[in-house]
Amino acid sequence: MKRKHVALAAMFLSGVLTAASAQDNAAAIQKAAEEKAVNLCSTCHGPRGISTSPEFPILAAQRKGYLEAQINAFRHQTRGEKDAHDFMWGIAGNLDEAIIGGIATYYASQPPAPGRTTDPALVATGKELFDKGVPERGIPACQVCHGPDATGRDDFPRLAGQHAKYIVKQLNYIQSLVRSAPVMHGIVKDLTPPEMQAVAAYVQSK
Amino acid sequence: MDCAGEKTMAESAGFALLTAAFALLLFLALISPAGAVPSYARQTGQECIACHVSFPELTPYGRYFKLTGYSIGKPFVTQEGFNYMPMAAMGQVSITNTQNNYETDPTTGQSSPVTQRNDGLVFCCASLFFSTKINDYAGTFIQWTYNNLETSADGTLGGHGQMDNTDIRAAYKYSSPGAAEPDWIVGATLNNNPTVQDVWNSTPAWGFPYTIAPLANLPSAATQLNGTLAQQVAGMGVYAFWQKTLYGEISLYRTADGAFSILREGLPTRIQGGVANLKGYNPYWRFAYSHEWGPNSIMFGTYGLMVDVYPDNLNTSTPTDRYKDFALDAQYQYITDPHTFTAQLNYIYEKQNYNASYPITVSTGAGYGAGPTPANPSDNLRQFLGKATYYYNRQYGGTIAYFSTTGSSDSGLYGADAGGNPNTPNSNGFIFELDYLPIQNVRLMFQYTAYNKFNGASNNYDGNGRNAHDNNTAFFNLWFAF
Repeated sequence: MKRKHVALAAMFLSGVLTAASAQDNAAAIQKAAEEKAVNLCSTCHGPRGISTSPEFPILAAQRKGYLEAQINAFRHQTRGEKDAHDFMWGIAGNLDEAIIGGIATYYASQPPAPGRTTDPALVATGKELFDKGVPERGIPACQVCHGPDATGRDDFPRLAGQHAKYIVKQLNYIQSLVRSAPVMHGIVKDLTPPEMQAVAAYVQSK
Repeated sequence: MDCAGEKTMAESAGFALLTAAFALLLFLALISPAGAVPSYARQTGQECIACHVSFPELTPYGRYFKLTGYSIGKPFVTQEGFNYMPMAAMGQVSITNTQNNYETDPTTGQSSPVTQRNDGLVFCCASLFFSTKINDYAGTFIQWTYNNLETSADGTLGGHGQMDNTDIRAAYKYSSPGAAEPDWIVGATLNNNPTVQDVWNSTPAWGFPYTIAPLANLPSAATQLNGTLAQQVAGMGVYAFWQKTLYGEISLYRTADGAFSILREGLPTRIQGGVANLKGYNPYWRFAYSHEWGPNSIMFGTYGLMVDVYPDNLNTSTPTDRYKDFALDAQYQYITDPHTFTAQLNYIYEKQNYNASYPITVSTGAGYGAGPTPANPSDNLRQFLGKATYYYNRQYGGTIAYFSTTGSSDSGLYGADAGGNPNTPNSNGFIFELDYLPIQNVRLMFQYTAYNKFNGASNNYDGNGRNAHDNNTAFFNLWFAF
């Protein structure tokens, strides 16, 4: 009886130690990922993921799953538009799954970038498109997947506060099949350049 | 190579070796997954445009890469094995046209060319780089250049290899807990050219023009900071960059002899006037304010150097001349896709105190060795350069630049006109450049340098009837790196 208690206690202690060790390991990975974000990613993507240059996307408050998927797409070179190739393939190629997860966690937990409005009329046009789509042309409302406030949903990316120039560029890449985004190809195939500008201005303002 | 003058066996062997090295590097570069790009691109996996507006002008990320010790990416050798070729190569092929390449001797009436190989297709020059990350805290930029058009004292051309720009550095990033960016980047540099360690392209070592016609006739006066000491000295410095805003650096420069002689390998150290010889350790300083917003970045800075130079580099028993250089510079960059606009300004004021050369010139009529023979105890020299560049799609570019050198008139340094009035070192003019980069590491360029004043005058600056604009130079160049 006594021996059984000792064995159970040992098993419990071992379980506690293993859990603590895993926790320590996870914390160490997260710390390493955040160091990477602070010392490397911030050079282009800005402090806490809020870039000032519209050439580099804002990462703050982005959906974790989306971030992981994109960094992995750079790492495996399956996302291949010019900017991805020129800048991100090399950076992501030196990251492993654990660090990618830590970087995604870090940016997903950062406060979002404030909205910025440049042209109220354009923003209003974009809101109409974002909220309702263009049913007569078969273009669904963006908010169905990206959320009513453009903050994203599940692994569909947050668009709120993103640089309008970056949004337009990505819409063009997706429309011309340079960037693979199976859900989006059918949706944006008939989107016109002015519509892209309008919806981008709207989400930037959020 | 069809160079004028006899080539020695050693020169031929050197050129053959260089050709073989180029072929090997080209092969290795082509089979590398990173493609035909230099070693830092292979190290980081990123393309040239991540770090360069167009080589060698750095983007904000390129400046960060350099400040952090060239250490982003992976080392060329790790436990997993050999990762990439840490060497790179560069070459240029050009045609130069000097507006009036003939000068007539007033006594003999004979006409002779001012520059060699005018209008001819020339290959010049070739560089090899060992530029790579060493570990997470250190990296190298080491350049060795073979100049197949090196002009000897007797005017003949021949092959010559030497150490070129070198900057070996170590850096450490410090972030306080919860910081969003590095609070401090601190580092140390060992280099062989004042300003080669600088990350802004307003300073001379990496300033415009980024390349010039290899055999062009150039104005003769230059400040110590503007290349006069390049590849002849050893500089050791420490620097700090605070919150990507304030930069400070203190370095000490000495003659690159003894343990540092590798930094000037290949230079004619045993020939009078072959290299500069500095007394002791000489201070260099650099302070800058930097700011980035949107696609813009701006820098305002100052830097300077104070050096004591032995007038005769082979005689260190003499007194020294002292040169004090103070500089102001600024840079603006607007970098977007597809439009890029950049501008740089640089002004250097040099005070020259000929504590050694003036007394000896007055008393004997000659200087020490090949040193200066000033007619004044002190002079000053001022150099300005301003340039603006536009690139479309990082592929099609145009640059306009204005340069100016002014300074004290001194008959001992610059001669005198027919009336006996001392000449000045004054030169000024414009540079126009058009660039096309079919791929990021190949540049086709046309550069035109137009002189308004040359070595003191616009007309008859040499007393033989030669005018400043006779030296106007058109330069067609193919510049490639792999």
